[in-house]
Amino acid sequence: MPLAGHWRSAARTHAGKVRERNEDAYLECPEQGLWVVADGMGGHQGGDIASQMIVASLAELPVQEHFDDRLIGIRQCLHWLNRRLGQELTVNAGRQDNIIGSTVVALLVEEDRAACVWAGDSRCYLWRGQRLYQLSRDHSLQQQMIDERQMNARQARAHPGGHALTRAVGAAEQLTLEVLEFEVFPGDALLLCSDGLYQGLSSDALSRALSLGLPAMALKRLFDDALRGPARDNLTAVVIRR
Amino acid sequence: MTDPLQTDADGQALVAPPGDDPPGDLTCYAFAQSKNREPARLAARSALSTMPDVLAGRYCIERLLGAGGMGAVYRARDLLAEQYGDPDPYVALKVLNQDFAESPDASAVLYSEFCLTRYLRHDNVLRVHGFHVDTACARAFITMELMRGLTLDKLLCERPLGLPWKELRHIVLPLLDALAYAHACGVVHGDMKPSNVMLSEKGVRLFDFGLGRAEEGVLPGLPHLSRERFNAWTPGYAAPELLEHHSLSARTDIYAVACVIYELASGKHPFRHLPSIQARDEHLDVGLQAPARLPKRCWPALRTALAFDASARAITAGQVRDAFTLPSSWPWGRRNRPSW
Repeated sequence: MPLAGHWRSAARTHAGKVRERNEDAYLECPEQGLWVVADGMGGHQGGDIASQMIVASLAELPVQEHFDDRLIGIRQCLHWLNRRLGQELTVNAGRQDNIIGSTVVALLVEEDRAACVWAGDSRCYLWRGQRLYQLSRDHSLQQQMIDERQMNARQARAHPGGHALTRAVGAAEQLTLEVLEFEVFPGDALLLCSDGLYQGLSSDALSRALSLGLPAMALKRLFDDALRGPARDNLTAVVIRR
Repeated sequence: MTDPLQTDADGQALVAPPGDDPPGDLTCYAFAQSKNREPARLAARSALSTMPDVLAGRYCIERLLGAGGMGAVYRARDLLAEQYGDPDPYVALKVLNQDFAESPDASAVLYSEFCLTRYLRHDNVLRVHGFHVDTACARAFITMELMRGLTLDKLLCERPLGLPWKELRHIVLPLLDALAYAHACGVVHGDMKPSNVMLSEKGVRLFDFGLGRAEEGVLPGLPHLSRERFNAWTPGYAAPELLEHHSLSARTDIYAVACVIYELASGKHPFRHLPSIQARDEHLDVGLQAPARLPKRCWPALRTALAFDASARAITAGQVRDAFTLPSSWPWGRRNRPSW
């Protein structure tokens, strides 16, 4: 398990039980205080390429001295990728599925400061003081229906196509990233994951896993639980603990 | 600084338990017009194995550098070169996308790209090293020089207001030079756009001739990518005749490079990144303004190069370059111009 300073982390991705291809990707860089999960989509052109591009590009960012500069670097990089996967993409006339893109959720930490940057429905959870908090809010039709039409979560989930994304890297000319900055406390655990992982797990199951002391143990519990279910989508999780 | 425990004290941050309804097992976009929502099944049909870590027992794949309509480019380490102590054993390696690689003439198309690029010997055209086949995974690939630098699309993201003339000309002149050279050799690029131009420590490099074509009589016998069967483009940079009649010529490249130059000069695409036929139908060319930081003498040439009508786009890459090189009022005439 990588260990740097006082951050420990463990990460895993799995294609699930149905899909041939894994279009999720993750980045685990505890020594740089950076972790990322990306869930790609791209039909013929390969969503795996989109999520891998995100992870590979964020991995190569220069480590700058100041937290704020690093955060700007992450955002600039994602805006560039949005252009690369959108406006710069060669499209094929004979195909209907010329959109290639990916969700992203990235966590940057430095001492007590943390920032979560995301677009799409990959999530960041915080386990603190025996309670689970969802730090990221999904950019999905479901969430939009909850916010704008005052639907409850159950009604929104019943809506056909509700899981469709309203934001993603590469999907529209302008990308709007959401950023949440917060302070980290001793004993905090954080989880980045793709929808394939959290869709199959209750909040109790997430809490039980994150309450385990070691990231590797938490990760194992998450995957054991998720893979007992149908696991129809790709699953990815990164557990980070201070 | 936001403390989630404070901002979400009303409990909304707490997780709602997932319901029993089955999760949608496919990521898709609310705004995607795709009729095909089953990429997973198509992938499952593929007979090709996934990319191995080492290709042809020699090239160790390190990271993804970029992806296009046909292929993906990786940074790879040449293990053989490394064994002989090569201080820089890295190459760029292009393989075809899995689905495209399945078509029977896929490797011939990739060979054609290799051959076209090798045919062009110019300082501002990326150098290719070799064409290889990994028999175990049944994939052909090209190795090329690995450029370290910035592609123009990244540069544009970092410089949203465009570049001042002094910087602009250092990119535009070599780029036009490379294009003029390719055209003089009878080779059309076919997919000119910012992400296919690299600004590296060694200068400007034009690359990706994957949709390129040699004119009749050049490289005879080389298989051509059939535009009838494989028709691809980048919407914001494809000229109307390419979109409407699948007709590719040097003038198609001229339209695309003019869009790139305009964008570098102003930070904005001349036609808001719209496909050229839509921009033409909306008459967006009527109010087109010269980029403020572009010297006036350059504008007539650039304006001509941006013409929607191919017959009105009567200018060559060399002529555009000359317009960008020569101050029209240079007192000593063309032959004695300074050599910058």
